Amino acid sequence: MSTRPVGSTEGGGDQAVALEGLVVRSHPMLRKAAHNRSLIAGATILGILITLAVLAPWIDRYPPLEQNLTEILQTPSWAHWLGTDQLGRDVWSRLLWAGRFDLATGFIVVLIPITIGTIIGTLAGYYKGWPDTVLSRIIDIVMAFPYYVLIITLVFAVGKGIRGIFIAFALTDWVTYARTVRSSTLVIGRLGWSAAAKGGGLSDVRILGRHILPNTITQAIVYATSDIVYVILAVVTLGYLGLGIQAPQPDWGSMIFDGQAFMTTKWWLSTIPGLCVVLTGIGLSLLGDGLADVLRPE
Amino acid sequence: MSNPALQVEGLVVEIMRDRERFRAVDGVSLTVELGKSIGLVGESGCGKSLTLRAIMGLLPERAVVSAGRVTAAGADLPLAGKRVAAARRGRLGMIFQDPGTALDPVMTCGYQIAEAPRRVLGMSRSRADARALELLRLVGIPDAERRMRSYPHELSGGTRQRVMIAIALSSEPKVLLCDEPTTALDVTIQAQILRLLVDLQEEMGLSIVFVTHELALVGELCQDVRVMYAGRLVESGRTADVLARPLHPYTIGLLRSAVDLDVDVSAPVPIPGSLPDPLNRPAGCAFHPRCFLARPGCETADVPLAPAGEGRASACLYVDELVKEGLEVGVP
Amino acid sequence: MSPEPLIEVRDLSIQFPVKGYGVVRAVDGVSLRLAPGEIVGLVGESGCGKTTIGRCITGELAATQGEVLLDGKVVGRRRSSAVRRSIQMVYQDPATSLNPRLSVRQVLAELLRVHRLVPRADVEDRCRELLGYVGLPPRALDGYPHQFSGGQRQRIAIARALAVEPRMLVADEPVSALDVSVQATILALFSELRERLGLAILLISHNLAVVRHLSDRVEVMYLGRIAEAAPRDALFGDPRAPYTQVLLKSAPRLSQVGRTPEAPLKGDPPSAIDIPSGCRFHTRCPWAEAVCDTDDPRLLPVDGSGPQRPAADSDTNAHLAACHFRAERRGA
Repeated sequence: MSTRPVGSTEGGGDQAVALEGLVVRSHPMLRKAAHNRSLIAGATILGILITLAVLAPWIDRYPPLEQNLTEILQTPSWAHWLGTDQLGRDVWSRLLWAGRFDLATGFIVVLIPITIGTIIGTLAGYYKGWPDTVLSRIIDIVMAFPYYVLIITLVFAVGKGIRGIFIAFALTDWVTYARTVRSSTLVIGRLGWSAAAKGGGLSDVRILGRHILPNTITQAIVYATSDIVYVILAVVTLGYLGLGIQAPQPDWGSMIFDGQAFMTTKWWLSTIPGLCVVLTGIGLSLLGDGLADVLRPE
Repeated sequence: MSNPALQVEGLVVEIMRDRERFRAVDGVSLTVELGKSIGLVGESGCGKSLTLRAIMGLLPERAVVSAGRVTAAGADLPLAGKRVAAARRGRLGMIFQDPGTALDPVMTCGYQIAEAPRRVLGMSRSRADARALELLRLVGIPDAERRMRSYPHELSGGTRQRVMIAIALSSEPKVLLCDEPTTALDVTIQAQILRLLVDLQEEMGLSIVFVTHELALVGELCQDVRVMYAGRLVESGRTADVLARPLHPYTIGLLRSAVDLDVDVSAPVPIPGSLPDPLNRPAGCAFHPRCFLARPGCETADVPLAPAGEGRASACLYVDELVKEGLEVGVP
Repeated sequence: MSPEPLIEVRDLSIQFPVKGYGVVRAVDGVSLRLAPGEIVGLVGESGCGKTTIGRCITGELAATQGEVLLDGKVVGRRRSSAVRRSIQMVYQDPATSLNPRLSVRQVLAELLRVHRLVPRADVEDRCRELLGYVGLPPRALDGYPHQFSGGQRQRIAIARALAVEPRMLVADEPVSALDVSVQATILALFSELRERLGLAILLISHNLAVVRHLSDRVEVMYLGRIAEAAPRDALFGDPRAPYTQVLLKSAPRLSQVGRTPEAPLKGDPPSAIDIPSGCRFHTRCPWAEAVCDTDDPRLLPVDGSGPQRPAADSDTNAHLAACHFRAERRGA
């Protein structure tokens, strides 16, 4: 066994000069991530929000559902950091628990569509043929409906509350993921390394899992970051229509709704939960931008 | 010396990458006389395309001209700012490598060729169309009337390249900048396009700056040649002279490593090493890590392009040795 | 004379339906052979079908008619793992031929493990050995594609092809996307791999100089058919088919300094949907005569008689041309 370099007479120089300092052990993506401002900013904002949400059981000061009708609509004070709402419940505690619920819902509800959508999109884009035609038509049909019309109809049909929301999103939200993943798969499946993987005798599962998906899923992931915000917003909207989270479960949406009546006097009751939604949106948006940069192959 | 058609002095283009700035084009100068052609030769990454784009005012976002002067027929051309395009009309034209992406897919060829005459030269619609038809014939497209109404995707690669030449000529420039226009074409079509360029030169007195990585093409088309490496010119002179008696180790390396129909099959000797990372330029002469003539002196000082007699110039400290030994390594 | 061929292609035709236009006859009745350890260059311009043949041999495309044989047995798209490993392809574009997410080690090790080519403990060593074959240091195993130059990526792609221990490589324009000074290196690498590992290589290229540099025999294709086939020196020294002669005349050469080629071929190639009657080259052939319009010439020996393809005992060193005037067209 010889490792003498072949194919170049003075080729010894080729390797020495070219690879100097360029080959590094750590994964290039992690290093990129460490320098990306968007990613760091987004992750920081979300990190703070998530941490507060996770720590809710320990940092709330009153049970969020505990009503105290003698202390309704208090302005912020040492006793109640953000005051109390119209039923005397501590706003700070409700905010934390609402955040816990909303953020969790947002993340989890998005998991189903991204999984279904990626699988369907990948299969359609890789195998093509009639399964692709059928799936594409289904995607077109679902996309033809206005987003909220579909969600509202489904929640209405399936039943309000968290279960209805899960099902409604699972049935409608997957199409966007399927579409982007399908296009990426069509492109990537045609590139040299995919053909080489096939020619190398690798199984379809392996090709899809190692050579195609890691390159196609990045767009889906980035889209997911904004999708989470859409879900949270949809929950809020459904709340207005009485189809959302049922009382007494705290939720930013219902907090905003409840505080509407007092906008002129106790404006913070609606505004602060609103700000939380906005912050979540900004954090996710920055995270999405950063991820888009980091995940893109060089 | 009379007013040259194009004169470039000390052009420097800087690029931002990974938050660092480097010089992709570092002090390039060249002169093109009326009706003459000059070849700019180098491998990918040497800065030759950027040089053309800087001259034409078409630099991409991250690239900036930080020094240099470009004059066309005596008039100074702005290198940035709002007047860049207007200043070049009627003076410079440019054609690109991939005719597939350089043409607008939603406009007919006739429309694209007539655009400049209409907008810039102020011709009426019918006159501009007539001019476009003339140009289509000039560039040798058969069945020109029908082609006026064709869309780019309906045409072959060679025809698209001719359309691109017609568009470039429609504003009546004196100098045509060509950025590897035949690289994407088949060899028989390439020969046709080269022939066309030669004919246009003779008929219209067009000056040509031809960027390519193939020395043989420069040999066939251009009277003068400039060789570029890592952003700088390393050799210049008349093409016949440079190819027969190269005076820079890089040019010698290019000729020695050439896979050419006239070169003996066992002959090619590759240039060891590879292009330096622009952010990590070797000290002194950029080529010295790969040079067969390298000496201790080569890594201390920057080596400028210096005259080497009879209209030749070379950026090598030891050019005298090359001249003396008469290294006949070029054309067989 | 000929030893048992490793790969044989018999009367291969590959057609693609095109909506609204009918059928594209990309490959229209091609027969050729490759002996073990032989390098055959398949040369032609875009659209001639050379890449299509390559993809059919590797099992990527199905034949419409005719067959591909490995060791005398027919192989189709569905093939056993052993057959699939015997024929490996090296792709043209180094920018997309490697998965950007995987390190070199991961790419090579995956193949070794999936096919259980070496015991687990030896995988790392074998990876180093493979890199050694292509002239890259063990350090490269840690790298990701974007950290390498085009030439280096091409070497990695070759190492990947070698990982499954093939008996034949189909190299599709392996050096077209590389710098000229690197091309010779990669070609020399192929040559050494043939010497060292006894690999047969089908070199597909549009560049005559590249083909001449590496091949034992050459097959020239035009519009889906073989126009001429000969041992290398015979083809380049004494081309008989008009198309070959035109290609050689059009190709750029270093010796042509100051002389632009004549461009003997006018117009664009006809499309493969609408193949001309008679000799498919007659519409562009500078020497066409009446008979060329009506009679389609077969691929026959240029002097005297001899077996034509795909006869079982056809002499691989024969010089064949598909032209009615092949015997007269000497030294054109």
